[in-house]
Amino acid sequence: MISEKLRQVILKELELKEFNLQDETLASQVPGWDSLNHINIILAIEKGFGIKFKGLEILKAKNIGDLQKLIDSKIPS
Amino acid sequence: MPQAIDFGKLLSLFSYDKYDPLLFGSSLFLFFFLFVLLVQRLFSNQKALRIYSLLFFSLFFYYKAAGIYLLLLVFSSAFNFYFGKLIYESKTALLKKIFFITALLVNLGLLGYFKYTNFFLQILTDLKLGTIEPLHIFLPIGISFFTFKALSYVIEIYLEMFEPVKSFRDFSLFIFFFPNVLMGPIDRASVFLPQIEEDNPITKEDVGRALFLISCGLIKKYAIADYIALNFDERVFGFPLRFTGVENLLAIYGRALQGYCDFSGYTDMALGVGLLLGYKLMDNFNRPFKATSVGDYWRRWHLSLSTWLLDYLFKPLQISFRSMRKWGTALAIFFTFFAVGLWHGPNWTFIFFGILHSVYLIFGMFTQSLRKKFTDSIKITGTKFHKFLQVVFTFHLLAFTAILFGSPSLQYTLDMLHQIFTFFHPEVFPQFVQAYTTVFVLIVFGYVVHFLPKSIEVKAQNLVIKMPVVFQAVLFAVVIWIVVQFKSAAMMPFIYFQF
Repeated sequence: MISEKLRQVILKELELKEFNLQDETLASQVPGWDSLNHINIILAIEKGFGIKFKGLEILKAKNIGDLQKLIDSKIPS
Repeated sequence: MPQAIDFGKLLSLFSYDKYDPLLFGSSLFLFFFLFVLLVQRLFSNQKALRIYSLLFFSLFFYYKAAGIYLLLLVFSSAFNFYFGKLIYESKTALLKKIFFITALLVNLGLLGYFKYTNFFLQILTDLKLGTIEPLHIFLPIGISFFTFKALSYVIEIYLEMFEPVKSFRDFSLFIFFFPNVLMGPIDRASVFLPQIEEDNPITKEDVGRALFLISCGLIKKYAIADYIALNFDERVFGFPLRFTGVENLLAIYGRALQGYCDFSGYTDMALGVGLLLGYKLMDNFNRPFKATSVGDYWRRWHLSLSTWLLDYLFKPLQISFRSMRKWGTALAIFFTFFAVGLWHGPNWTFIFFGILHSVYLIFGMFTQSLRKKFTDSIKITGTKFHKFLQVVFTFHLLAFTAILFGSPSLQYTLDMLHQIFTFFHPEVFPQFVQAYTTVFVLIVFGYVVHFLPKSIEVKAQNLVIKMPVVFQAVLFAVVIWIVVQFKSAAMMPFIYFQF
């Protein structure tokens, strides 16, 4: 499940009003999420959640679900 | 009296000749391929024999192009297969990293040694850091392609996107596969290897599609690219100062089309040949001259290389430089396109070609909002007219890089620009059309077909797929007849062979 917070961070960065983000959604399927914009979204997530990714961790993420799992693993529950 | 068979000559068909590789489109290749298909058909129920025979034929094909350097191909396969396993099975992250870096160093080290040693020695000499005689290093054909193919395997295992295959036989087929070993497409291990596992049967649709692709490839390469090159382009690019500016400009337009038809023609044939053997290779082109920006162009041209570099070089760089935000992305673009230039070969023209593309892209990135404001203010954003302007402008930016790509040295590039800007003489144009009618018609024809909607290509392809076999055979015979009419006595090597 994609959390509301992650959804808001992504939509705000891409200036989108609404988009249905699912676990299996790929970056390429989201309007405006291209190779140049990719890094802005990663930076926005790092800032929004107050976390820091390792380069390899981001490269391994295949879809938005993977990104959510990665964020969850960084935030102490 | 019947002539005796000259066994010496017959034998030479099977031995390595530097100047006579098995080019797609040559009659020897046709016989070779028919034989391969026959053997594949014979073993249609025995998968193992089919794969082993395909391995054998692929090795023979590579031997015909590179001789003893066949061993390098075998080494690449064994080394990367073994290291893929080592990376996957490593217990600690550190060990994983050590094996991965070793694999990168060995692959890139071999590529660097064969391709760039003399270039660096020359730089040392030019910088007066010592005079070292160039070494006699043979460039194993296709090394840039099969090295990148093999690298995709170890990188994807390291990134945990793909598990190593268990069969060395299957992995070797991925590396050796003759349709893409010399000039790509640079297929991904994660896409090609599962196809060996699945072993899908060849359908009637595959055959029709293959026939369509091979026909398109033959026409693009032999009727368009080679004809324009031999009869016009090579003359102008060889002696730009002997021609007026208008002829130089037309040669550049011709050269852009020739480069596309040469390389995409080869790819079409590779895809068709692959399909007839039961493998779907990666498509490499999507009408590159329809691009509305240089970024868009790289999503349409040599896709198997551009996506490789995007995934394995650009993205990691961009992530490491992310604290610098836009400047970090700019730096990542610069390094990636420097690599694009260098990948093409040890020549400054290629390196400038890459740098120029990075300048285009970085400039485009920084001026994006400014350009949008401008087109908004004159109310053309998103209109057809805007798109038209974008296509024309992008095409000319690309044509400019095509001069670098086609010039033997930077001096020739400067000479061409000099002629265009100071000795244009547009009145020569009618004479040019008269003297080079076929060349002119081919250039116009090539561009018109390129800009036709994709739906027409799909319709034409479906028509060929649905045709009865007899009609397909007649169509193919007609294509071969056309190609023979255009084909020159000496076949031109494919441009991308040198890479």
